Amino acid sequence: MNNLELIKPQRQSILGVAVIFFSNLRKAFNFFLAVVFVNLGTKFRILSLGLEEWAYILSAVFLVISYLQYLKFTFYIKGDNFVIEKGVLSQEKINVPFARIQTVNTHQNIVQRILGVVGLKIDTAGSIQNEIQIPALSKKHAQQLREYLMERKYELKEEDAAQDLDEARVDPSAGDSFDNLKIDSKPILELSIKDLLLVGLTQNHFRSGLFLFAIVNGYVWQFEDFLLKPFESYLEETAQSFLTQWIILLPFAILVFLIISVLASLVGTALTHFQFKFFLGEDGMRMSSGLISKNTFNVPFGKIQYFKWESNPLRALIGYYTLRIKQAGTEAINDRKLISIPGIQARSLIKVLNRQYPDRKKMAYQSFQINNLLFIQLAVWLGLIPSLLALVFNFFLIEILWIYPLILCYLALVLFFSYRYFLSYKVKVNPDFTLIKRGWVFPTTLLIPNYKLQNISLKQSIFQKRRAIASLQLYTAAGGENISHLPYNEAHELYNYLLFCIESSKLKWM
Amino acid sequence: MIFENLKIDIDQIPVLEQEDFEPLREDYLYMRISSRILFLLFASGVGALFSLFAQLYFGYWLYPILTLMLFVLIYEPLAFKVKGYLLRDHDVSYKTGLLFFRQTTVPFNRIQHCEYNQGLLGRLFDIASVKVFTAGGNTSDLSVKGLSKERAIKLRDHITKLSSAHE
Repeated sequence: MNNLELIKPQRQSILGVAVIFFSNLRKAFNFFLAVVFVNLGTKFRILSLGLEEWAYILSAVFLVISYLQYLKFTFYIKGDNFVIEKGVLSQEKINVPFARIQTVNTHQNIVQRILGVVGLKIDTAGSIQNEIQIPALSKKHAQQLREYLMERKYELKEEDAAQDLDEARVDPSAGDSFDNLKIDSKPILELSIKDLLLVGLTQNHFRSGLFLFAIVNGYVWQFEDFLLKPFESYLEETAQSFLTQWIILLPFAILVFLIISVLASLVGTALTHFQFKFFLGEDGMRMSSGLISKNTFNVPFGKIQYFKWESNPLRALIGYYTLRIKQAGTEAINDRKLISIPGIQARSLIKVLNRQYPDRKKMAYQSFQINNLLFIQLAVWLGLIPSLLALVFNFFLIEILWIYPLILCYLALVLFFSYRYFLSYKVKVNPDFTLIKRGWVFPTTLLIPNYKLQNISLKQSIFQKRRAIASLQLYTAAGGENISHLPYNEAHELYNYLLFCIESSKLKWM
Repeated sequence: MIFENLKIDIDQIPVLEQEDFEPLREDYLYMRISSRILFLLFASGVGALFSLFAQLYFGYWLYPILTLMLFVLIYEPLAFKVKGYLLRDHDVSYKTGLLFFRQTTVPFNRIQHCEYNQGLLGRLFDIASVKVFTAGGNTSDLSVKGLSKERAIKLRDHITKLSSAHE
């Protein structure tokens, strides 16, 4: 099938120089920003050269470095391994056995898009620290390489187990055979501009606001000296009257924070989920989306470890969920956000679940009751202790009368939400699946096939020991999930039972 | 997917009891105590330097360190009683933690690879550990500590043999 000459070391597309150059530039940007900003007040001069000259010199240096990096970046095939060699000063050799390749994804950021090349990312399970990616390949080449890698991977499997063959083999006539996946040509879900708007508006604004705040804050601290120094005397002066002023300013600040947060979620959604398409097929699913950088994810069913779907009050109102697909592998853990399907409705969600787990309701579920220690702990740690601290602080230091009812309100709210959270916590297990539901404000459901579990921990703190309670931690190749505060007997029984499920299963779990 | 769904009797499922666990080598306790005491001695050395050259009141470091040493001497033997490991036909388990107890079991058919480790102090006390790796990040790895070198190597070979049988 392939006219790829992969035995000899190969370079990527010459346009890779540009891609590497821009990615170097971006890495250097933060550093330069600091240097430039700090020197902005005075006239920028180092070694009697101005800003502009330095920019030219450094760009030239970067260009040379990028070209060297391009020259030194080669990839080839040796035996059953895909090998990447890179590094100018220190040579690095990455060996990827075909069997370890989980999925091969393409990626296009804005530079790659303009230049018409694609980046190839190879995802392996396990803890290979280095990101395995080839920054620039022509589209055709990338496609061929990807097909070739997947084919080799399945060939290896073939030798191992002949019966796996039929499932994994490609049918070239069945539409897109890009990743040896049989995928329906019609997407099950497509986000229109309106959907995008709805998804954006119903984001967790608080989180996107805080996220933005964190970024801005990071930059502010980096340039603290130069940003805040000029205002220092002014700040000190106003600090006296600040306490009375912030009461007036607070509602205004909250309003600004809200608006900025909503905007941030809207922009974020538009960037990541623009033209979002979700395909479902016989062997797996595919997602593609993105405005600035276009991403395609292929997820073979076998690689899916478990599903997690969640909502929030705003989204629940319009009946939307976010479905997260937990995949094995390092990339899945890092880019958790990208392998999620926003704005999926219950109907489509059930369709996906039925396709992936048709047997999920075949056996009866047994429910497990969570102990109310969960409520007590939440109430104490989030409610009582902060309230008491605030109380003491206010009593001895600030002495503002109207803070007392505020503390009381806070405590009442925390108690209420903790109790609702405790009530919403449900654990059900049947011979094939573990179902965990939790959260009242942010309802989350997890559906984990028992045979996908890797190992199990039973945890018991001294607080739990007195009440004969224990928590379970379930680990999969895509991360861990917790079941807190079960009665010890039940936790112990579940521990043994799930272990039995794993050890007696002969299904391939990865 | 072929789904075998045989009916199973709940009582037939093998039960992992706390009492089944094997205690670790006693030398592991002495090794832990020595390593902590060594660290505290080092810290007091630093403190002493400050007292000598920077007129730091010696009580500021001496009393906290003595308290910590006392704590180590009381806590470690108690915590040691909790620790243990267990090897069964299909899995390996380890338990630890006096205040926050934790027992973990890794089935052989989910093990990616397995590693044998012996530190500097471990060589003195003939203590080695076996680390078991599963897929997907390092949060779910299991370390069986406090074995003799001979036993650790045996355990590693045993686990490697059994886990590769499942590939």
